[in-house]
Amino acid sequence: MIVLKYLFNALIFPGALFTILAGFLLSGLDRKVIARMQRRIGPPLAQPVYDFFKLAGKENIVPAAANVTAYKLAPVLSFVSLAFIMVFIPIFSFSAFSSKADLIVILYLITIPGVALIIGGSASGSPYGAIGISREMVTMMSYELPFVLVLLAVAKKAGGDQLVFSLKEIGEWQAVNGSMLLHWSMIPAALAMLLVIPAEVGTQPFDVAEAETEICEGPLCEYSGAPLAVFKLSTCMKMFIMTGLFTAMFLGGIRTGFAGTDAILFVLICCVVTILCITTIHAITARLRIQHLFQFYWTYVTLLALVSLVLVWFGL
Amino acid sequence: MFENLIKKSAMKSPWLFHINAGSCNGCDIEIVAVTTTLYDAERFGFKLVGSPRHADIVVVSGPVTMQSKERLIRTLAQVPEPKCVVSIGSCPQSGNVFKGSYAIDGPLEKYVHVDVAVAGCAPKPQAIMEGLYEAAQILEEKREMIRKAKKGVKGSGVIEVPAAAGTAQVSAAAAPASTAAPESTEAAPEAFAAAEPAAAAAVESTEKEVASK
Repeated sequence: MIVLKYLFNALIFPGALFTILAGFLLSGLDRKVIARMQRRIGPPLAQPVYDFFKLAGKENIVPAAANVTAYKLAPVLSFVSLAFIMVFIPIFSFSAFSSKADLIVILYLITIPGVALIIGGSASGSPYGAIGISREMVTMMSYELPFVLVLLAVAKKAGGDQLVFSLKEIGEWQAVNGSMLLHWSMIPAALAMLLVIPAEVGTQPFDVAEAETEICEGPLCEYSGAPLAVFKLSTCMKMFIMTGLFTAMFLGGIRTGFAGTDAILFVLICCVVTILCITTIHAITARLRIQHLFQFYWTYVTLLALVSLVLVWFGL
Repeated sequence: MFENLIKKSAMKSPWLFHINAGSCNGCDIEIVAVTTTLYDAERFGFKLVGSPRHADIVVVSGPVTMQSKERLIRTLAQVPEPKCVVSIGSCPQSGNVFKGSYAIDGPLEKYVHVDVAVAGCAPKPQAIMEGLYEAAQILEEKREMIRKAKKGVKGSGVIEVPAAAGTAQVSAAAAPASTAAPESTEAAPEAFAAAEPAAAAAVESTEKEVASK
């Protein structure tokens, strides 16, 4: 019975299927809203679904220079790790799987899609891929530091004397003491997290690794057909997971009573966070250069996260 | 299982790849205009992509110059099936004002089957949009044809590329030669050298065909 429950959790409700559907919704909303911001009509809301199925129906060309196994397994690796992260993120009162160290597991799992992109890019044997993966590595190094500091600040705030890495306990703490965002000492950390999300998802201005106008989408340059579809799908899922993590950490503690209404509210809040930190930033900025991205994250964003951490450490 | 959805999606999300085969930049500007706020091709799902591997519709502008000929053939071979070729402007169709020049080796029909040709110098964005929309419909038909051909010759594993007679022979002959070789020049230049005679032979055969006509 317990095995069936975990299978259901991993494959359907907070896991794969739910994440895919919510990811498609967020991605479609992102494209629609950005079009409205630029005074265009924009694609239909279901455009990411069409893109995915169109790519799935296309021919898959494997370049002769590619390492076939790594080339084909990289997108699967990316998809599987993302499907499992969502099991650890509680949807308000509903938590599918909770351990003592959710945040640390998430921190590890969330780097895997980036690593998969690096594996896929290097396996494709394309020079554009080589440039793309070196940029992807630098991007990962840039946002990991502030991301870890934000997680530490949240863990310390919820734990008091000791660090609490369980997202369920963090949610319960928020139910008692009010959402993290209502505590003024956590606002810099929330801002830092909002800036980490677009880099993690890989949207403008932080899409240096997949810059389609300069390096032909870098690691994805040689991909076509179904593997490309899975990579595009992982980007959609990442959008939902990162905004979901933000919601669980900073806006948790809301109780509606039902798991169903909780899930709907959760997705709605994720939509707002997506428009706030992904769409708006995309609409008002141009792509950064890689060194500027590195500088930006290791100075301003790290500083914001550090301010929160120090404040929390002094018990504020 | 998802056959209907894939069928519907095929014409709802055509991604464009633009090849400039020696164009004067007039048509290129009009292609960019199609994606801007005023005409907004994205509402039909059109998107300009950076890699030919991601493309569904290849947009070619310019009379095919001697310099761009090779690159044109190779880039077209890199596009996965089903694909459509749309020529923009009068140059790829007839050579336009460059007709008879020693520097051009057109028209585009010599190298690949052109599905939709948009005429004009330069064509209006509205005309380009209509051409692209038509190409998106053709894309769906082509997918259906490939699927049927695949079912027919399941054992042999050879996919007959559906195309009209005449010029289409070139694309059929050139495609296997270049797909067999690694596409990135920087990675393996010697492999391209192997693919080149095949492409050149294909070009020659059409030239003969044209002469006999």
